[in-house]
Amino acid sequence: MTARAVLILCAALGFGCTPSGDRPQTPNTVLLFKHGTLSGNGAVLSDLLREFERRHPGLVVREELLPSSSDRQHQYYAMNLDGGRAPFDLLAVDTIWVQEFAKAGWITSLDAFLPPAEREQFFSGPIRAATFEGRLYAVPWYIDAGVLYYRLDLLARHGVAPPKTWPELVHAAQRILDAEQDPRLAGFVWQGKQYEGLVCVALEVLRSNGSDLWGGDRGRAEASLQFLRDTVAGDRITPVSVGMADEESTRQMFGSGRALFMRNWPYAWALFQQEGSLVRGKVGIAPLPSFPGYPSAPVLGGWMLAVPQASTHQQEVGELIRFLTSPDAQRLVALGMGYNPTRRALYSDESLVDARPLLKDLYPIFLEARPRPVTPYYLLLSQALQPEVSAVVVGRKTPREALDAVRRQVRRIVGSPDLPIHVEGL
Amino acid sequence: MTERPSIGVRHPTGGIRLSERTWGYLLASPAFLLVGLVAVAPIAAALWLSLHHRLPVFGVDEFVGPWNYIQLWGDDRFWAACRTTLYFTTLSVSAELLLGFGLALLLDGLTSGVGGSPRWAQVMIVVPWAIPTVVSAQIWAWLYQPDYGLLNYLLHQARLIAQPIDWLANPDWTIHAAIVMDVWKTAPFAALLLLAGLKTVPRDLYAAARVDGAGAWQQFRHITLPLLMPVVVIVLVFRTMDAVRVFDAVYVLTGGGPGNSTETLSIYAYKTLFQTLQFGYGSTLATAMFVIVAALSSLYLLLLRRHLQEGA
Repeated sequence: MTARAVLILCAALGFGCTPSGDRPQTPNTVLLFKHGTLSGNGAVLSDLLREFERRHPGLVVREELLPSSSDRQHQYYAMNLDGGRAPFDLLAVDTIWVQEFAKAGWITSLDAFLPPAEREQFFSGPIRAATFEGRLYAVPWYIDAGVLYYRLDLLARHGVAPPKTWPELVHAAQRILDAEQDPRLAGFVWQGKQYEGLVCVALEVLRSNGSDLWGGDRGRAEASLQFLRDTVAGDRITPVSVGMADEESTRQMFGSGRALFMRNWPYAWALFQQEGSLVRGKVGIAPLPSFPGYPSAPVLGGWMLAVPQASTHQQEVGELIRFLTSPDAQRLVALGMGYNPTRRALYSDESLVDARPLLKDLYPIFLEARPRPVTPYYLLLSQALQPEVSAVVVGRKTPREALDAVRRQVRRIVGSPDLPIHVEGL
Repeated sequence: MTERPSIGVRHPTGGIRLSERTWGYLLASPAFLLVGLVAVAPIAAALWLSLHHRLPVFGVDEFVGPWNYIQLWGDDRFWAACRTTLYFTTLSVSAELLLGFGLALLLDGLTSGVGGSPRWAQVMIVVPWAIPTVVSAQIWAWLYQPDYGLLNYLLHQARLIAQPIDWLANPDWTIHAAIVMDVWKTAPFAALLLLAGLKTVPRDLYAAARVDGAGAWQQFRHITLPLLMPVVVIVLVFRTMDAVRVFDAVYVLTGGGPGNSTETLSIYAYKTLFQTLQFGYGSTLATAMFVIVAALSSLYLLLLRRHLQEGA
């Protein structure tokens, strides 16, 4: 019986081996592409990579996926790039990591693959975020920015226009909530959990009041933080649960018809328009409001492609980046996976805009999108202020106390009241 | 293992004569080596790292002596994390012990009663312990959800609350929400250990006590509790060490928020080490945690030894 089992096993193994015997004998150069799990149809990307292989005989691209959690990816890259090693050739980096990785010498300059003239075809926000000490270290792959979602049907029913300013938003929300008398309907939901998303919301509110968290006008900074707290405590348009809400929980709340306004990234749109969605056809998208006299200040998000310093296939990976960020590849990814292109021209590309009309609305928002402070210290700073802003949101600290603590922390981290390197927005 | 190595052991001529004690050490040395490699060496490495300023991003790697520890002393966030951790540990471990004891007595009553042993009861009770912490934390996050979570629904149905309570966003509730989840998850573990202890208590002691006219409480107080003391201490050691190092339960539930109100030492160390890549200071935090755990466990072991001596 054992002998027979072994025979069967051998047959199975032998059979399993045959197809690989047909492969060409020339050794291929394998490029390892690390990126987080993407949403949408993953086949679109692998088809693109196969197309690249077809155009470059001898090159093979292998994808290796990381968890979709941005923190986990950062941890992986930090541990695997430190010490000048590179177990992969291409990686997808969050916009907020480029400065840090470039400063650490983990990723290499890509000036040669995207000359300055060609950079102008991209949105300026991501290019700024990817430029460290005058050199480009990553090529923008897809772009994100904070937007305001609103319920078309409810606003129309009460004759309210999408708000342009924060006070207008509060007013509109209160008016509609009063009229609807639905205890399950919230006015305005946003990401209030103690994590990176809260920093984005806080920056958007502060910057749309002409201030910032680390610098800028102190009084207006306090007033803006107070505004965030007031949505929960004073104006009562935001449920307390926002203090633990992230992108997904707010998206689900809005998606089940229980919120009037929501701050989120553009990804939620496609999910709302899916078949079976409770809010299908009832959602509008607008630029984030601002305080009177100041422009809207959406925060830039998105991912970029970078090459580890230690990769031994710099030239080949450069070609791959050029291919993946080319207009054609970006169009396919935008159509098939719903990610938003980083090349501006695509937003007037008829075949694309016909299929995804939302891109027309997003274009002006992406033009305005501002990076979070462009500095290698960003993650340290963000870590230091997440608990402070969170404490304001849940009413544990006043805006004044929180700002004091933030600026004290910044001094501790950077060693002086002023950052030693240029930080945008100061 | 031979029972009496001193009897019948013959040393071959020319062999090295070693005392029994030395042989013992020699034979145990692979185990020592293993422990040294997987436990002592990393601890020593972390200790060494904690004496450095090490920020790979900025190319900083310098020996700074005790500087990190001085900074730790003045770090409000560290002390807040200490308080949170100790609060969490005290409440959750005491609740787990009490509840575990109750469960163990219940199970013991069930299994020693007539009519066979209902094993399913034991299996049922172990289920929370068998679920991975990350999964149970996620389950509890849903239970705690303010608008459609089960907990608020039940409380509302029972007319105990008028307004939904936001268990995870209200800083006064959050840490307690995490404690309840931890107790739910690990009380079964305490119960299992205590049940094993209960099984070793000779039944004739109870029979004798009953003959002497002792009531249930007296039996528990003078027979069960003293005989179970070593197991209780073991439960305390295990649970305290785990509770002081608690990470996944709280991290999944709250991420340390809101406003750092649930940031335990592990979460602070994790954020420092892996999110902001301050390897030196992060190791200082890890070392401080190690010292606290070590101090607490030696305290327990001291108690256990004293108890055993008194018993003897």
